[in-house]
Amino acid sequence: MIEDDLRAAFARHEPLTPSTGPLRAAIDRLATRRRRRRQRWQAGGTALALLGVLGIGVPLLTSERAGPPPAAALAGESGRPAAAGALNVLLLGVDGFGEQPSYRLADSILLVHIPADRSRPYLISLPRDLEVSIPGRGIDKLNSAFFGGAGEPRPDLDAGYELTRRVVAELTGVRVDAGAVLTFAGLRRITEAVNGVEVCLPKEVRSWHTRRVFPAGCQRLDGAASVDLLRQRRYLPDGALDRDRNAQRYVAGLVRAAVAQDVLTNPVRLTALLFAAGKGLTVDDDGLPLTRLVGVLPELKTVEPVGLSLPVGPLVNSSSRLPLDPKRGPAFLAALREDRLAQWVAQHPEQVDPVR
Amino acid sequence: MTYEEFVDARLAPLLRYAVMLTGDPHQAQDLVQETMVRVQLNWRRVARADSPERYVRRMLTNQYVDWRRGSWVRRVLLRGEPDETVAVSTDHTQSAVDRDQIWSWLSRLPRRQRAVLVLRYYEDLPDAEIADVLGCAVGTVRSSISRALATLRAEYVEA
Repeated sequence: MIEDDLRAAFARHEPLTPSTGPLRAAIDRLATRRRRRRQRWQAGGTALALLGVLGIGVPLLTSERAGPPPAAALAGESGRPAAAGALNVLLLGVDGFGEQPSYRLADSILLVHIPADRSRPYLISLPRDLEVSIPGRGIDKLNSAFFGGAGEPRPDLDAGYELTRRVVAELTGVRVDAGAVLTFAGLRRITEAVNGVEVCLPKEVRSWHTRRVFPAGCQRLDGAASVDLLRQRRYLPDGALDRDRNAQRYVAGLVRAAVAQDVLTNPVRLTALLFAAGKGLTVDDDGLPLTRLVGVLPELKTVEPVGLSLPVGPLVNSSSRLPLDPKRGPAFLAALREDRLAQWVAQHPEQVDPVR
Repeated sequence: MTYEEFVDARLAPLLRYAVMLTGDPHQAQDLVQETMVRVQLNWRRVARADSPERYVRRMLTNQYVDWRRGSWVRRVLLRGEPDETVAVSTDHTQSAVDRDQIWSWLSRLPRRQRAVLVLRYYEDLPDAEIADVLGCAVGTVRSSISRALATLRAEYVEA
């Protein structure tokens, strides 16, 4: 019968099976290569995160009510800094739980700017609701660029990063030299690696997700609490913009912890932290070799950074998208492109908003 | 069990299984290679399974069935339709030709149905275990088998 014919056909074709020797060698070779690539990315990612961490700190300056734009701001100059000059690093915090969430959005988007004179790092928060043009998706919110690139149901963090990077480069007009993506799990592990992070809040924050209450003032948060705090938006008066500020306050605390524990100067501690983030962190170091990026750290005159927010206007009609502030936005971006944020900050000292 | 021990014991049977699934030694090598690289990189998770052998067979089968994933499939698609058997004879006494016909008919079945036949008539697994490998109900396994056999019988009649 047909069943017997099937058995016979299978048995007769067994000799087709090739020998396992070369296959085994090929498997080992390929696995070694992938393992090496994975390790390089993980280690590189945490070094980048540390660099990003340095970009966020105590004085926090919001530029939403910034002064008039310089007349030349809208001139067609590209104003890109030389390769050896200013550096821009893109850091993305993405949502989604578990090993394989079915989709991801980038809700925290930070551009770390290191000026050519290496005076100090600048942190620029880009609001996730910012209205931007996304290749293949038309006009949408900035955070959906990550979703669009990563896809579903198996989001690809690298592809999500890549599309976000293109959109941010287009928006700001600066070259993005390197970047990293941090998941909730990565955030939790980095926090645990420094034994918790002290965060100072100006007002009480209540968690929508866990009903936890974060009182006003300074408090030490463990990994899970840090993730909880940085997810909160609904009960905050300024919504996602306030959440961005809390992210800056968190990172300010993380810098303090890292400095207090000599993490940045002690190779052993640094290595421990390097591996803490593990798979929760991936990195793009194609543009700028990692060694050069890490080499920038000692060049900085101070690690105390300046926090800034991209100026945005009121909501567009009934949509929930935020447009770039039509006057202040281009002026701010011109200062960024031309690497004169120090001057810009000096002109608007009243915007400094301490985070502790 | 270490990864090395697993490979010593299981690589050859896995490769034979892959040959039966794909019907082609090169595709079988690609399929096993892709699966085993992932096994090696995630060995701790594989070793934690009740039966690493079953776990890996499930990985490999899913890789084969789900043609949208996995780069090795692209090559398969490029090859397109299987070659028609050269000398199609209606003479059933020509047993060698008949046997080759069965092999080529197998390649026209949907992947899932072919996998069910291989698990049933080559690996000799009971329905429950086949259901476990494919992640479906036992009833689905039975209906897949009978549908696949019906297709093959129809080919017999036509030939």
